Amino acid sequence: MIRLGLRLAVAGGREALVRLVAIAAAVAVGAGILLATLAGVNATNAQLTRYASLHPVATTGGDADPLWWSTRRDYFHGRQILRVDVAATGPDSPTPIGVPRTPGPGEYYASPALRSLLDAYPADQLADRYAGRDVGTVGPAALPSPDFLLVIVGGRPAEVAALPDARQLTDVAASGPALPDTVVDLILGVVAGGLLFPVLIFIGTATRLGAARREQRFAAMRLVGATPRQISAIAAIEATAAAAVGTALGFALFLAGRGALADIPFTGMPYFPADLSLRPLDALVVALGVPAGAALAAHVSLRRVQISPLGVTRRVTPRPPRGYRLIPLALGLAGLAFAVGRRPNTADGQTAVYLPTLLLVMTGLVVAGPWLTMVGARLMAARARRPGTLIAARRLADNPRAGFRAISGIMLALFVTSTATGVITTIVAERGPAPIGSVEAATLTTVLGEETTSVPGPLLAELRAIPGVRSTTVTRKLENPHYYASVVRCADIPPAYGRCAGGATVAEVPVDFIPFRSSASADRVWTPASVRVEDLAGLPVESIVVGTDGSAAARERARTVLEAAYPTFWVAPNVPGNFEADFANLLRGWRQLADVVIVVSLVLAGCSLAVAVVGGLQERKRPFSLLRLGGAPVGVLRRVVALETAVPMLAVAALATGMGLLAAHLFLKGQMHYALTPPGPSFYALVVAGLAACLGIIAATLPLLERVTGPETARSE
Amino acid sequence: MDRDDQRPPGRVEADGAAMTVVVEARDVRFSFGNTPALRGATLAVEAGEILAVMGPSGSGKSTLLHCLAGILVPDSGEIRFGEARLDAMSETARSALRRRRFGFVFQFGQLVPELTAAENVALPLLLGGVRRAEALRRAHGWFGRLGLAGKEERRSGELSGGEAQRVALARALVARPEVLFADEPTGALDSLTGEQVMDLLVTAAREQGTTVVLVTHEPRVAAYADREVIVRDGRVNAPERIPS
Repeated sequence: MIRLGLRLAVAGGREALVRLVAIAAAVAVGAGILLATLAGVNATNAQLTRYASLHPVATTGGDADPLWWSTRRDYFHGRQILRVDVAATGPDSPTPIGVPRTPGPGEYYASPALRSLLDAYPADQLADRYAGRDVGTVGPAALPSPDFLLVIVGGRPAEVAALPDARQLTDVAASGPALPDTVVDLILGVVAGGLLFPVLIFIGTATRLGAARREQRFAAMRLVGATPRQISAIAAIEATAAAAVGTALGFALFLAGRGALADIPFTGMPYFPADLSLRPLDALVVALGVPAGAALAAHVSLRRVQISPLGVTRRVTPRPPRGYRLIPLALGLAGLAFAVGRRPNTADGQTAVYLPTLLLVMTGLVVAGPWLTMVGARLMAARARRPGTLIAARRLADNPRAGFRAISGIMLALFVTSTATGVITTIVAERGPAPIGSVEAATLTTVLGEETTSVPGPLLAELRAIPGVRSTTVTRKLENPHYYASVVRCADIPPAYGRCAGGATVAEVPVDFIPFRSSASADRVWTPASVRVEDLAGLPVESIVVGTDGSAAARERARTVLEAAYPTFWVAPNVPGNFEADFANLLRGWRQLADVVIVVSLVLAGCSLAVAVVGGLQERKRPFSLLRLGGAPVGVLRRVVALETAVPMLAVAALATGMGLLAAHLFLKGQMHYALTPPGPSFYALVVAGLAACLGIIAATLPLLERVTGPETARSE
Repeated sequence: MDRDDQRPPGRVEADGAAMTVVVEARDVRFSFGNTPALRGATLAVEAGEILAVMGPSGSGKSTLLHCLAGILVPDSGEIRFGEARLDAMSETARSALRRRRFGFVFQFGQLVPELTAAENVALPLLLGGVRRAEALRRAHGWFGRLGLAGKEERRSGELSGGEAQRVALARALVARPEVLFADEPTGALDSLTGEQVMDLLVTAAREQGTTVVLVTHEPRVAAYADREVIVRDGRVNAPERIPS
């Protein structure tokens, strides 16, 4: 049976061969994307694991001399530099990953990306932060990404031990998990929902190529005595053979495109090409799973038709979907709405609430899809005035499941990406870096970790001497039993940050004159403080605020001066948003990933729809060709095809995007108390471009319509 | 050949009276690649007559029908519809002509499976720009005449072969075409059902004054015609008028 199936697949004439090649090509594209997705998840995990290894947990025990370790954050031009200070306490101290030896006092290793910056900028902007000798380059084993800015600075044990969050390590490889399992599950769920589902739909649909002709052949085989089981086996063998070839090509496609893929900063930074690799289990799952899935799809597709020795009959009108299909969607949305104002306190609790409800909404959309398609199609049929609209609407209303199947991928992908984009856009808007040219972006602040009541005069003079520095202000820390505040002499408040109320001499201010999640304002009036001016000098210094003209050079020079003056900082001098620069970068990376998911899923859906169009034409080529013989313009048939595909696709795209943004709003409201900031025009432009690409792919099938409905069809069928 | 006993009551024409030619083929040649199908076929169809085109399989009778209907353009020769030269028209013009002035019935599989029987019948009217309600009203009018009352909302898969063919017949005639081309209209039916369909076809055509070109290889079906011609090796034999 296997040999017969293979022979029919390979040596069944030109048409069989064309079908085999088409299925293999479609599966190759699908498998390639599948492999890239799995490799992307692995690469992200490798990236995060290395990032976690730069924040190791304290370890004790064993014979090794401990290594002092402190990880701190520094900034340059809005990018984060991770600074690791290390000090060996003896000859057996472990060596940090990525360097040949532990740097000694006055030595440092820089990552290749940081080295480029050190070479490109004047020393007073960056290199002066790392006093001592540059002894080499940090290797990729320690770097999450080729672009990562990392410096490993050597010090004396006592110095490093005094740094914030210093810890002793006897094993540098011991670090916490890169990501909690629930987060990994969430990411996988999002990726699976957004990308894998359309890929699998596409692969499944591709195996249906030329099904009508194949089924006729099966009917002929039944006539000569083949059993339904044998027919099913032959169909599975054909599909499996094509899918196996396609999967092999998919592996080749993935390997060929891996380098280019690694350069795309999906997570805010590019991958090492070697990280974009497959685990044996991934490769095995794809290598075996795709052909097995194709065999299953072939089996399922044969269940939709009855192949008797006298020919192929389809169920005339499948049972219409029922209204209860809306229940999961309604429950999911109700769950999200319920969570507004009832946010659980723990991360696990939040995941437990939001993950199932989001998945329920996603599932609900897929379950409700056929019912919505049917209702929409019935409405369209009732209002149809043109024959093309009527035929298209009736076909969709007759079998809404089939009509929805090809576009279900779009629905999930757009729902997931709209939710992600809505959440990301809002978070970036609420918590992203200060806008360029704003007073906030020109304000550099360092909060002193050490207890001191004075700032050296030469330091302030040095800061003021930097071109572009407009003000330097020292705030003090006021600690009472009941509250804590930063206070400043009213006369010292630079005009750009506001003023005191009339008669006040000391004001309570934020450490950088910029209230949380607000902008600086010259019109702001600060609350008077209950401290006398003459007592200020006795209070500990809280922060030094440097106002600049906003130029990067002034900001980085001031930052370098402050770091040199206060080398035990925990967080480097920063402008608002620096803290979240990496987070914002990560979010932007996720948004890029969402963009890729949108385009890829829409293109895949276009391919699925194109295959469905071809299948639908094959099924109806005789009535359509006879209509044409009767004088029906080919434009009417084109309209049928376009409406059958484009209308549900566009309706689903609008619905999924709307539901995605609604889910994002409910999530943001419940989790962060933010209102949704709608995505910018670029998001909608991308969706429209993706849909246009999808329509273009469908349009590419239209010439086939003319060919298969020509007069020769009526003669030969 | 006297077929009076087999023909339904129909048009009675004055013997020898001059008839108007509606469709005409003059020395038509047509080949599928290197295989000639028509080798100089000549035929004239008169207004209101029912003409049977007979011949063995592969003789070229369907090709001749397709040429007469403007579906195929002959390699040489002329096809005339009234004064118009079909062979010189563009595909668009021929399509419009077929849509507006011709009707077609084929052997099987001509109904759009998604549409109800009534919608299938209304389809030519909708294609012609008739409003949907009016098109459906006119379509429904055919079901009683065809013995299909109550089956207006059925899909093609829910109709028997004979019922589907009667729906196809109604579809072909609903727009009151000038010429009805029927290619083996009973080829997929048993003899009794075939006779029912032919009765309806001939009756309806005569009521509307529609000319019918009927391709068949069955003498029983050809017997419904006023006249029959035989196509053999791509040529039409001398026309034979059947006495009324």
